[in-house]
Amino acid sequence: MALTSGCAVNRATANVDNPAALNGLKTMYVSKLEPDGRGINVLIADKLRTRGYTVATGTEKPLDVDALVTYKDKWMWDITMYMLELTITIRDPKNDFPLASGNSFHTSLTRKSPTEMVDEVVDNIFKQGK
Amino acid sequence: MKTLIQRISLIVASLAVLNLAGCASPASHEGMTPQNLTVSKKHPYSISVETKGGSETGAMDSSNISNADLKAAIESSIVKSSLFKNIVQGKSGDYELTVSVTEISKPLFGLSFKVDLETAWSLVKKSDNTIAMRKVIKSTHTATMSDAVVAVTRLRLAVEGAAQENITQGLKAISELGL
Repeated sequence: MALTSGCAVNRATANVDNPAALNGLKTMYVSKLEPDGRGINVLIADKLRTRGYTVATGTEKPLDVDALVTYKDKWMWDITMYMLELTITIRDPKNDFPLASGNSFHTSLTRKSPTEMVDEVVDNIFKQGK
Repeated sequence: MKTLIQRISLIVASLAVLNLAGCASPASHEGMTPQNLTVSKKHPYSISVETKGGSETGAMDSSNISNADLKAAIESSIVKSSLFKNIVQGKSGDYELTVSVTEISKPLFGLSFKVDLETAWSLVKKSDNTIAMRKVIKSTHTATMSDAVVAVTRLRLAVEGAAQENITQGLKAISELGL
């Protein structure tokens, strides 16, 4: 009953609510998704650091940062496990309102590594926010 | 005995084909428009609607929500409920509503399809650009085999149901504002 076939489906989108608000950020906290055993939060934090942000990650929900980063990853099996979809959302820590979000979806034939997926989503968010 | 096994195999194969057949179709604006939406307060102003974050549905993809269909569904719901006096296109309304699809979580397989949808609703008063409402709206809808046997249809119904619930919550929240 799989909904997906072997054909390649690629999608990469990003949406920024307020580019000025995004550009004013300095500190971020990547909120680790409870069931994430693959350390995707660390990959996202590392990627954001390369863009010059001061980033921490963990399971807390601090209010003393400029933005809270949440994510959702979806995995599939085809010979080996691969990341099918990744959504990253940058939020206002006071009310969780999304400032920007990005999503990438790649089926098996065009699969990307988790690091490449994180790179693609984060880069698309900031490209959209320029 | 052999005939019975052949018949069972044929039925199973037919069900599999029925389940997999057909391309994914996008959530329609009719399907996303809530039925019988009632609001507590009606606002005597004009409003424009903008939608972001949606995506088109490819033939080999699963059902998505497009910006155009979401906008049409919200506009239809506003008209049906008379929440605002009228809808204008462009930026010339008294208020501007922006709805962004932030996350949509869909299953890949299963009998019951549960879809989670998160959107960000922002209502701005155009005369002074003050923010009247900023709200994250989360909704869920589950479509079962009794809703549709064909998986692609079942998923579309789950997406449309989640969108209906989302629009209902968003417009009810706006109706409670003192604009």
